[in-house]
Amino acid sequence: MELAVQLIVYGILMGLVFALIALGLSLIFGVMNIVNFAHGEFMMVGMYIAYLLSTFLPLDPLLSLPFAAGAGYLLGVVSYRLLIHHILRGPMVAQLFGTFGLMLFLRYLAMYIFTPDVRSIKQGILVGKTLSMGWINVDASKVFSAGVCVLAFAAVYWMIYRTKLGRGLRATSIDSEAAKYMGIDTKGMNALAWGIGGATVALAGALLAHFYYVTPTVGMLFTLIAFATVALGGFGSIVGAFIAGILIGLIMVISGQFVSELKFSFIYAVYFLVVVFRPRGLFGW
Amino acid sequence: MVRLRQLLIDIFSFRDRPRFERIGFLIFILIVLIFPWMVTSAYGRAVMIKFLLFALFGLGWNLIGGYGGQVDLGQAKNVGFGAYATALMIVWWKVPFWITVIPGIVIAAAESFVVAYPMFRLKGHYFAIATLCVALVWKELFIFWDWTGGARGVELPIRSGVDFVYMQFNSPIYYHYFILFLFLMQFFFVNWFRKSKLGYEVQAVRDNEDAAASLGINVYRTKVINYTIAGGLGALGGSFMAVYYLYIDPDAVMPLDLSILIAMTVMVGGAGSIWGPIIGAAILIPLDMYLGAWLGAQKRLGIDFMIYAMIMMVIAAKEPKGIWGIIERVRKKRTR
Repeated sequence: MELAVQLIVYGILMGLVFALIALGLSLIFGVMNIVNFAHGEFMMVGMYIAYLLSTFLPLDPLLSLPFAAGAGYLLGVVSYRLLIHHILRGPMVAQLFGTFGLMLFLRYLAMYIFTPDVRSIKQGILVGKTLSMGWINVDASKVFSAGVCVLAFAAVYWMIYRTKLGRGLRATSIDSEAAKYMGIDTKGMNALAWGIGGATVALAGALLAHFYYVTPTVGMLFTLIAFATVALGGFGSIVGAFIAGILIGLIMVISGQFVSELKFSFIYAVYFLVVVFRPRGLFGW
Repeated sequence: MVRLRQLLIDIFSFRDRPRFERIGFLIFILIVLIFPWMVTSAYGRAVMIKFLLFALFGLGWNLIGGYGGQVDLGQAKNVGFGAYATALMIVWWKVPFWITVIPGIVIAAAESFVVAYPMFRLKGHYFAIATLCVALVWKELFIFWDWTGGARGVELPIRSGVDFVYMQFNSPIYYHYFILFLFLMQFFFVNWFRKSKLGYEVQAVRDNEDAAASLGINVYRTKVINYTIAGGLGALGGSFMAVYYLYIDPDAVMPLDLSILIAMTVMVGGAGSIWGPIIGAAILIPLDMYLGAWLGAQKRLGIDFMIYAMIMMVIAAKEPKGIWGIIERVRKKRTR
């Protein structure tokens, strides 16, 4: 019983982080129908920023969050302007290889700069602390991360559904040609989607760095988890990404408890089963 | 008799290709044939063998990725099946190499056939990610299972001298002609395939699924059979890897990087052309081996892959048809 509750709490906390990671992927896919293979590498950039700021400057890793988000935004916009914009009209194979190339580039750039060593954040207000609620013990950093994820999610949701900018984004995602004729700067909207996608995922990375090790190759795994999350929630659906993130977190934590070697296989299997049997996901249209 | 003659013509003829391609191919074959006698350094020969191996992988992937137009990012699983079938059968039962090749191909093709059925309900990106997931699940399973050696891998017993039963040699010259033989087998198979009925169906499906369906082609079936054949072809190179490296583990024969490299050789060279995989491998493999070795010696990890990634992005943005696409365009301009 205790174990079950503990696992569920952990699963939900991890799931909220997964949801924030998946948000950007879903948004980018929704707006311009392109899958970003470099998504996990954007997250890795956020992780390294948190690591660097907290290790080499007397800053708490928590203070690195806005820097990570800002760097993610820049990275997203620059990738869009330099690469994605050029491959958007090409064949699907080219799109796939374009973002795959971006992924390899960022990964091995990190490998070059930081070497393949495994690193982790050792100092910080929340690092290594646990919260006890009755008989449940939870890492303080995980609780905090989950909270930030919910806030970030709410902010993006508000931006997309309640502001003029968000209306432009939604219009571009429904029909970018028509949106262009209505005077919407669709190129700018695409860049904005990449910016938000980069910012949210880098923020998630900076949070994740509190309790997850940092290596140059960490991204691929989270890209795949994000694919599974987005497929489960429905490509392009924001609410779907949120709920699917929690589900994926639960699946991973619970299956990891029993067959830890295969816990990622379960996630790949979820992706496979969902796209094959219910391609529009839980909340897709 | 007439049919056999026709079949042989279909396999060995390049009459549908322009003359400069045929001459180019002849020159290529000549260079490869005399290569081990021209280059005596062990490293140079190893580069050549790896080039032929990846050209062979590329030819197999070209079926699904080039002629079929379906981006498969999981070819490494088939390589792994071939490598493990050969290695395990040699270690367990001392089966001769040439007999182990067949179950390797059959297993890879059968697995591809089974997963292809659900997978081809998907298109484009969804399909690509699904192939990637399947390959990663297999890799995790091979690490997890004990009977395949787990993460420790499988070590083949070392035989001295020249052994044509287990295809283990003490000189790279033998390996060179061995892989060249496998490469040519696959090459002529693909040459037959591209002109066969199935080959034309596959290309029609790639160019326009609806039009192909309206002509009476069973789109779904065509894709599944194509994926099955491509899977089987992947296993052949895997079997070679087992007896060439004499040690295999899941990280060596079925990693994601291998799937990507295979797909990339074809993309860089030119997907959907029989020369594409050869051109791609001729560029990427020497680049990888020489640049990687040189930079590794300087302790500059990762630069070789960054250059790879740049090539990939530039090709994707500027020339999705690869180097062969550029050659074709230049030629068309000249003849006009």
